[in-house]
Amino acid sequence: MSENAIVLENLCKDFKVLNRHEGLKGSIRDLFSRDYRTVSAVKDVSVTVKQGEIVGYLGPNGAGKSTTIKMMTGVLEPTSGTVLVNGLVPYKDRTKNCENIGVVFGQRSQLWWALPLIESFKLLKDIYMVPQKEYDEMIELYRSLVDIEPILHKTVRQMSLGQRTLSDILAAFLHNPGIVFLDEPTIGLDVSMKSKIRDLILGLNKEKNTTVILTTHDMGDVDALCKRIIIIDEGKKIYDNDIEHLKSYFGSYRTLRVRLDNKDTWEETLIDEKKTDVMTVITEYQKAHKVKDIQLQEISTEEVIKKIYEGGSV
Amino acid sequence: MTLRKYIALVRAGIMESLHFRLGTAVTLFANLIYLVLVYFLWKAVYDSSGVDVVNGMTFTDTMIYLILATALFNFLEMFIVWDMSRSIQSGGIILDLLKPMQYRSYKFWSYSGSHVSQFVLAFIPTFIVVMIVTKGAIPIGLNLVRFMVSVILALVINFSIEMLVATLCLYTESTWGINIVKETIVLVLSGASIPLAFFPESIRNIISWLPFRAIYDIPLQVLLNKGGSDTLEGLAKMWGMQLGWCVILGLAGVLFWNHAVKKITVNGG
Repeated sequence: MSENAIVLENLCKDFKVLNRHEGLKGSIRDLFSRDYRTVSAVKDVSVTVKQGEIVGYLGPNGAGKSTTIKMMTGVLEPTSGTVLVNGLVPYKDRTKNCENIGVVFGQRSQLWWALPLIESFKLLKDIYMVPQKEYDEMIELYRSLVDIEPILHKTVRQMSLGQRTLSDILAAFLHNPGIVFLDEPTIGLDVSMKSKIRDLILGLNKEKNTTVILTTHDMGDVDALCKRIIIIDEGKKIYDNDIEHLKSYFGSYRTLRVRLDNKDTWEETLIDEKKTDVMTVITEYQKAHKVKDIQLQEISTEEVIKKIYEGGSV
Repeated sequence: MTLRKYIALVRAGIMESLHFRLGTAVTLFANLIYLVLVYFLWKAVYDSSGVDVVNGMTFTDTMIYLILATALFNFLEMFIVWDMSRSIQSGGIILDLLKPMQYRSYKFWSYSGSHVSQFVLAFIPTFIVVMIVTKGAIPIGLNLVRFMVSVILALVINFSIEMLVATLCLYTESTWGINIVKETIVLVLSGASIPLAFFPESIRNIISWLPFRAIYDIPLQVLLNKGGSDTLEGLAKMWGMQLGWCVILGLAGVLFWNHAVKKITVNGG
């Protein structure tokens, strides 16, 4: 296997959309309308992902995340630019490409609703032509990572959302693909299930050196899983670096909270460490007041991302 | 060992359809009501004609034909058009496209399982009941083997027609109307609701060349040793026609689908 799992070069995707008109008259006119406009969903995105990386692929709703993922899985054909996944062009070799990728959509399930989970696994084993020995090893690995016994013989439609998502992730890894795409895997899950699923993804990534592309709106996922994140907005890549670097994206901000004299309220100051440092501010406070208590807060990933989505400097 | 995938899909299909066992019972019950209706309708037709043999078929012949046609209909019935249009609207089709198999063959083998269980649960019991009630009006012999071959060909033809219509719906973005038209055409022109012997000769000549006859009428003729299916020449003619339509419709379906997939992959469905 080549070292680069995914290579995107100047990837673009345009959609042709019919301009719809209002009202009944408009609807009838639309039947014969040739009035199309072009919408660019992805503009000139270039990304290289190495085998074994976990990459957070972020962006506000409608930024073009799903479109990119669909191009990487071969369901969409790019308008221009190149996509290489495991050295294959996905939309030309869709069937072959599918043998070496796994996909989880948090909102839908690829499992067979009416069948117990173990039957879905066996079916996937046969569809992906996984040798019995590898399959047994994989199930063994699953057992060591999560407690699958209680869900193994349950039909999928009887499962809770959390159990179903867990099952779907296991199903996506079953044929030991080189790359797994996780599209909002923790959507709608409770805190403990979220952390279970994060541990599972980390464990599988470590054991099998699987490349994971994760899209999510939950910054907890990003903090727990990703070393590197890519952010796109309006189809353009606006950030591609490690998560540590992201926090200093707008300068090194920290929030200082102090409780002064005999008051019970906290007073907050946002400090840009490039301009002043925290100690100076504390000294300033001490000159005029008696400082009772101090807290220092790092800026969270969530706040940085929020700033970027809201159109902070690029 | 590509066979392994197909067997696995058929197996899962059988298990899935058995899961909804109540559905099978309801189908059998609905059939019963339908057949009572058919019985009285045709009884009235024969009574009013005043003769025992109409268009070369006795009342018993007609009833056997129609009962078996209904059983065959339950067994061959497919919902690909509905399933596909729903999965396109919801976007769920992406999960099928992400299987490491051709979509068409994935669908065919996924549905095959429910055909197998319907065959065992709906067709065979009906067949046995008809056998007992008519006290051996259905010949038992090589015709059963020939019938199985015919039924499998009929299944492929039916699947191809379903896939063609389902693909058509992809372009029109409306399903209901087209599907109803398709169902009516198939039911009337295939012999599933009226034996083809009852059509006027000129129309029958046209119908006999259409693919719909190959779904119900040909398998039934073969089963009942009628229409020359007990001679080598007659059988070759029937199978030849089924096979011909399999190839034509299959090919058309593949080409049409490949074009449609392009539409999905270019415009995102």
